[in-house]
Amino acid sequence: MADSTLVTPTGASGGRRGGRAKPVHLRNRPLWMLLPGGILMILVIVVPLVVAVLMSTLDLDQYTLQSWLQAPFIGVQNYIEAVLDSSLLRSIGISVSFAVIAAVVTMPIGVAAALATQNKFRGRALVRSLFLIPYVLPAFVVGTLWRTMLQPGGVVDSTLGSIGIHSGLWLNGPLSYWSLIIVQIWTSWPFFYLLVLAGLQSVDHEVHEAAAIDGATWWIKLRYVILPYLRGPIFLALIIAFLHNINAFTLPFVLFGVPAPQDVDVLPVLTYVTSFQSFRFGLSAAMAICSLILIAIPLFVYLRAVKLDSGDEGEKR
Amino acid sequence: MRSRFAVGAVAGLAVIGLALSGCSGNSSTGSASSGGDLDGKGKTLDVMIAANSLYPTEQQQWFKDVSAQFQKETGATVKFETFASANDELTKIQTSVVSGQGPDIYDLGTTFTPTAYSTGAFVKLTDADWDKVGGRDRFVPATLGISGPDAKNEVGIPFLSRPFVLAYNKDLLAAAGIDKPADTWDGLAEQAKKLTSGDVHGMAIAYADSFDPWKFVWAMSMQQGNPLIDAKTKKATIDDDAVKKAYETYFGWLSDDKVVDPAAIGWKNAQAVAAFGSGKAAFLPMVSSSSQVSLDKSGVAGKYAYAVMPTIPPGEKKLPSDGKAAASIISGDNMVVAKYSKNQDLAFALVKMLTSTKNQVAYTKTFGDLPTNADAAKQIEQGNDLIAPILDAGTKSFGTPFSGAWGDTQLALVNVVVQSIPALSSGGVSSSDLESKLKAAQATAQGALDKSK
Amino acid sequence: MTTTATPPSTASASRSRSTAATIKRKANGTRQGDITRLLPKPLLVTVITVLLVIVLGPVLYMLFSSVNGDASVAGGAFFPTELHFDNYIKVWSTVDLGNGLMNSVIVCLAVAVVCAFLAVATAYVLVRYEFRGRLTFLRGLLGLQSIPGTLMLLPVFVLFSSAASILGIQIIGTRAAVFITYLTFALPFSTWVMVTYLRGLPKALEEAARIDGASSWRILTRIVVPLSWPGIVVSGIFAFLLGWNDVLFASVLTNPETRTAAVALQVFGATQEGGAIPLYGQMMAASLICAVPVVVLYLVFQRYLIGGLTSGGVK
Repeated sequence: MADSTLVTPTGASGGRRGGRAKPVHLRNRPLWMLLPGGILMILVIVVPLVVAVLMSTLDLDQYTLQSWLQAPFIGVQNYIEAVLDSSLLRSIGISVSFAVIAAVVTMPIGVAAALATQNKFRGRALVRSLFLIPYVLPAFVVGTLWRTMLQPGGVVDSTLGSIGIHSGLWLNGPLSYWSLIIVQIWTSWPFFYLLVLAGLQSVDHEVHEAAAIDGATWWIKLRYVILPYLRGPIFLALIIAFLHNINAFTLPFVLFGVPAPQDVDVLPVLTYVTSFQSFRFGLSAAMAICSLILIAIPLFVYLRAVKLDSGDEGEKR
Repeated sequence: MRSRFAVGAVAGLAVIGLALSGCSGNSSTGSASSGGDLDGKGKTLDVMIAANSLYPTEQQQWFKDVSAQFQKETGATVKFETFASANDELTKIQTSVVSGQGPDIYDLGTTFTPTAYSTGAFVKLTDADWDKVGGRDRFVPATLGISGPDAKNEVGIPFLSRPFVLAYNKDLLAAAGIDKPADTWDGLAEQAKKLTSGDVHGMAIAYADSFDPWKFVWAMSMQQGNPLIDAKTKKATIDDDAVKKAYETYFGWLSDDKVVDPAAIGWKNAQAVAAFGSGKAAFLPMVSSSSQVSLDKSGVAGKYAYAVMPTIPPGEKKLPSDGKAAASIISGDNMVVAKYSKNQDLAFALVKMLTSTKNQVAYTKTFGDLPTNADAAKQIEQGNDLIAPILDAGTKSFGTPFSGAWGDTQLALVNVVVQSIPALSSGGVSSSDLESKLKAAQATAQGALDKSK
Repeated sequence: MTTTATPPSTASASRSRSTAATIKRKANGTRQGDITRLLPKPLLVTVITVLLVIVLGPVLYMLFSSVNGDASVAGGAFFPTELHFDNYIKVWSTVDLGNGLMNSVIVCLAVAVVCAFLAVATAYVLVRYEFRGRLTFLRGLLGLQSIPGTLMLLPVFVLFSSAASILGIQIIGTRAAVFITYLTFALPFSTWVMVTYLRGLPKALEEAARIDGASSWRILTRIVVPLSWPGIVVSGIFAFLLGWNDVLFASVLTNPETRTAAVALQVFGATQEGGAIPLYGQMMAASLICAVPVVVLYLVFQRYLIGGLTSGGVK
């Protein structure tokens, strides 16, 4: 790895030189290919993020919004208020636990679906497309659909009642947390399914042949031969689903409304209400940034732990 | 390495650039176009208005007609932009305010006028401005109550009126020998008890709605003389016996009087209307003229009527001396003109056109919302028995406190109900539980008041 | 990534006659796909049936509600009590659904295509080459992915309006505004999908081409892209859906002409104060209509989600 710091890009033409041919990964680096994506992301994500950090240090509310740059500078006061005086920490707790549970439970469902539709059978294209529907439906439609189904005396209650289960309130009270998880699982398992399906395609046919020749049972083959290929997609899907669930705003908003019942006062709804209903933009920006920092730490730990960031390149010498 | 520095430099330059242009974008204040004859040729006014899902094609037609009419008058055309919910409009207002560009005119719900006012981004109408929109006198006096904190600082021009009333099932009442709904909340509960039998309940209440609950609490508190927050003294009075009684009465309909369907703890407004519409409830409080469309399509078409909601608070037989006979909040739409607009005089001309007697009568005939123009209101009243009580309620409306803190207060009031629903579903809300929730609401409202300017 | 160079050679070395016969028998009697089957048949059928029920149950409810009366849906009915097939006709006039769908399709398709290819290019450099800051870039991408949308709304709006006044052109209200926003928000994740996918591709083909003197661009377009169709399709789908379902940004960045379908749909669900029942029937009908383009696109492109590697190409 020490080589790379000394090597300067020599361009495509100056590649070969006598006996000292540099390894491919250090030669002809088309770093320019990183430019379009990189510039876009800097301009449209990083710059507004900096602006948001700026807003979090201002006393920005409905009274000062009009000339927001002249809003009074209050430094870290918003942050102090966010951590000590609001329900931010509780919301983060609810959001993180909900995100983890939903992501972890969704994973086996998506994997099973991908494994099941890997092979051709009559109607496979149709089944594959039907599987996609919960993910394709807009979040607010899913929210309204399930809210209507879960209302007291609604479809779910009458079905459960006919087999003798009386569950109580789904949309408020302690069960509401589980309703949110169930609905989130329903709508997001196709996400895992897609990623794993793509990963399955990179399995050579020879691998299957070899396993057949060796007489491996389906379970052995699955566990020792196929799953290693899926490691990458599954770990990526887990972290992305986790992040998505933490920031999912529309579903809880439509499912439970505002003000949110205590058990499902998730983080994005809290920041939305603070920002667009209480009009305290500075405070809400501080809340969002606090949560970003709190989530970034386990995020990078996770990346390291599953070697998602370095993959194999980091181990090559 | 160079690239990392470059990233930082680009980001830094961009932020500085934003800051500089951000300053320049918000400098326009009171830039009214030069006076004289209005010549709008080639200009387009941008109006933001709620999407009417009850009459969508009629609304599209109305947009075209308004633009054509305005073009004949001034040469300028009108472009309408719709929003789906009040939240959407508020978001749009904020993004427009922060960037200094957006629609010229906003059609605002009355309860959001104080919030819009507090941004300082909308034109305060001077006497001259009022003349440009046809004069203050042309409006029903009650509708002006939420145009501004006082008569000298008004931003809202009343456009539509949608007072809240009680709908009742004439057949069910007749069968129980009741002539008309009581004018006291206690009396109404008694009548509801008589009307409850089998699977028919006396009242349909939407406990899980995000909008209905606070209006009951507000009405009962106002009738005891408690306006919940006082914008001038910046004091919140939610932690108060009158408010506690209001909540107890509201919850009591379900838990003690048992005049409401137990499933109502999960009802939004739509479910309550559906229950009334299928004949399962005798009273449906807190509806406006928009309910006509749904009710006329339902099983109670022709069998329902409206009445003014009780104006005597629970626990009393007549209005207390300091109480206000609040039949409804001032509800409807105000129009506000943005300060950043480059066509303010044209905007006033459009508002004048839309609030003229002729336009208002036509609007009411098509869409059902009541006019704010006094002449138009008189014309509508003649011969229309169904909406006469609604017009009556309009004259008995009182404004919610005009303060930037009202948004938070309203949320806090609804929050008390939301967090009480689990308790309500398992029997009832205890007194101590309610008291602690009211204390929390009081703290929130007081905090918002302290921050208000 | 563990490429399986070893098993075939050892297997071929130790191939006994019985296993050869087994394979011949299998090749005669069954289709090739059987060797690649990952789950035994009964389990496969169970999984698919259960999932179909879970998925289609609520969808069936949507179908029934779309032809039911609004008051019945509000009251919680499952089966339609009255039939309103005209809901499917009314949706087109209640909101400008046709225009919304067209805008959504244009913007989202553009986002999907551009994003997928930008992602491949970026991922290619990140996976196959070394440079200082590579790991930071990768980690940074994931960090960008975790930023919540509500935090970015006002700043992005400020960015666009300031850029508009500096450059003197109108940005907000054009399709370009939402296009750029969705493209940028979809990039981090799409890039990561391609990174994960490309890691699984053997380098042999690329190395051979490099020895033959191909430039990086040629390698990317001639070799990497054709081999990574599954990954490209999947990142394209995610990018498409990000734009398709977004409401928050579209509601402030578009004007009536450029409104997307997601924003138009909001009108159906709008809760009116004061007693008007939302148009449940039309909302369900419109939602099903809006789901159709995505499912159709998926049906068209899902053939690329099959077996990315050309068999024999590696040998």
